[in-house]
Amino acid sequence: MELRAGDSWGIFTFLCAALCNLPALPALNCSEELGAGQSIQQTYDLTRYLEHQLRTLAGTYLNYLGPPFNEPDFNPPRLARAERVPSATVDLDLWRGLTDNARLAANYRAYSRLLCYLRVLDGQVGTAELRHRLAHFCASLQGLVLSIGGVMSSLGYPLPAGPAGPPAPSGAPPAPNDFLKKMDDFWLLKELQTWLWRSAKDFNRLKKKVPPAVVTLRLEARGF
Amino acid sequence: MAPPLLLLALLLCPGQPRAEPLSYPAVISPQDPTLLIGSSLVATCTVSPDFPLKAEDLYWTLNGRRLPAASYSTLGPSTLSVALARLNGSRQQSGDNLVCHSRDGGILAGSCLYVGLPPEKPVNITCWSKNMKDLTCKWAPGTEGETFLHTNYTLKYKRRWYGQDNTCQEYHTAGTYSCHIPKDLALFTPYEIWVEASNRLGVAVSDVVMLDILDVVTTDPPSDVHVSRVGDLEDQLSVRWSSPPALKDFLFQAKYQIQYRVEDSSEWKVVDDVGNQTSCRLAGLRPGTVYFVQVRCNPFSIYGSKKAGIWSDWSNPTAASTPRSERVAGGCDPKGGEQNTTLRRELKQFFGWVKKHAYGCSNLGIKLYDQWRVWLQKSHKTRNQVVN
Repeated sequence: MELRAGDSWGIFTFLCAALCNLPALPALNCSEELGAGQSIQQTYDLTRYLEHQLRTLAGTYLNYLGPPFNEPDFNPPRLARAERVPSATVDLDLWRGLTDNARLAANYRAYSRLLCYLRVLDGQVGTAELRHRLAHFCASLQGLVLSIGGVMSSLGYPLPAGPAGPPAPSGAPPAPNDFLKKMDDFWLLKELQTWLWRSAKDFNRLKKKVPPAVVTLRLEARGF
Repeated sequence: MAPPLLLLALLLCPGQPRAEPLSYPAVISPQDPTLLIGSSLVATCTVSPDFPLKAEDLYWTLNGRRLPAASYSTLGPSTLSVALARLNGSRQQSGDNLVCHSRDGGILAGSCLYVGLPPEKPVNITCWSKNMKDLTCKWAPGTEGETFLHTNYTLKYKRRWYGQDNTCQEYHTAGTYSCHIPKDLALFTPYEIWVEASNRLGVAVSDVVMLDILDVVTTDPPSDVHVSRVGDLEDQLSVRWSSPPALKDFLFQAKYQIQYRVEDSSEWKVVDDVGNQTSCRLAGLRPGTVYFVQVRCNPFSIYGSKKAGIWSDWSNPTAASTPRSERVAGGCDPKGGEQNTTLRRELKQFFGWVKKHAYGCSNLGIKLYDQWRVWLQKSHKTRNQVVN
């Protein structure tokens, strides 16, 4: 159960290198799409990787919270608190009708906020092993946020003005007791799971709109 | 969560928000209490007036297990209590989950029970300073068993007679119960060091350890360890090393220790009385054997300190072999030996035929073959001497 931060940093630096490696061909006006196509694939791969990582992290964390939180059919009510964690569940027609920009922006905003909440969690959690796993996961999640930002930039979309620092206290009051805090933590992990599952679908959809194969043909036609 | 089911649900109820209650359904008292192992507790669950639930609609679980109805007691129309006796230590450090449910299993409220023991005095504080630049200390928790509660350890230190308490910040540098003080340490002055352990049930302070940084100095292992043969002596090896460079500016006498073992044995032999020199001869060794040798250093008597320092780590093992006596039986002597007579005769015939039938191979002859044998013998000898 060895966690090497190098793994996530490796992916992160690889992504950064790939994103920066856009071909500088002024004659080719679809060079941005070539870069975006690769980035979308990489972002998709990263969401699958994070999904896998989250399974282990969630398992450990829920065991730390203790039963009934780690029971498979556990489904507590989401109590009336300010909607602090952005929800992934969305009307199906609405989801289908999202523009590329809106789709990417929703992902970017969601993960930025989820990252903030996870970092707060990291400061409070009891055991050293959990803190280590959380730190590793946060690093990977940060990579995902940057990757989504990279895709948006390469497609010419502006980055949404996300929360720069930790969430405002008025928008997210801390849980009034330890049990409610455990419930908040449970829902944070659940929403993270749902978002990663949804993002895979989002990026799959985006992939189909920006196929790299089409661009390759155009390159050959121009004699490169 | 099954993805197709979720999509189906969204399809069936498009755009319908989840019904959110306006306040918490119920309140448990006491909320998140801390208790000693073996104590008893009576907890009450009071349903909020907004909810149409009565006491008989409720039940309790502890860590997911339903509590027997015999331990329940109705205190009011919407208040149910439960009696817990002789509590065991908490199942997880985040607290036991005591939950009040409605009849259909829904969660109305919860309370985290922290059941455990106060910490015991941490013991066995040992510290060492690497090259007088820092101080690392480790200790052991006093409790043989568990406290069941999350216990925080704080290492504190101060200069004796004056100065205020300082707190160590870098934990877990040399194991779970350790801390590292990287700077601002004074020499020639005694320090008082202690560890405070605290959890929800109390605090325990270790005994104070008094030390002078100069008395607990350790250093890097000796560098440039070379092991070589002593001429042709079969039972001896010579070990040479350099004193650790980090302490070369300070006045100290070093003690060294050497340990060595045969290649395929795990038993180390230790040479203890090496003193302040940087070379040593190992004797009484087995001929023709590969040995692994390590050296370590103790910088005692730094600045005249009377106490022994702390031994460094062992240097990386260096290998060398003792010579084997050369009782040559069947060794090849190309000048006089007629051992491979058949081979030589055949070769001579071959070279004669080559001279007749091949062009530009006039140099090829039995003399060349003899020269090759001599060269082979010489290079074999040098390859046999194992040097590191």
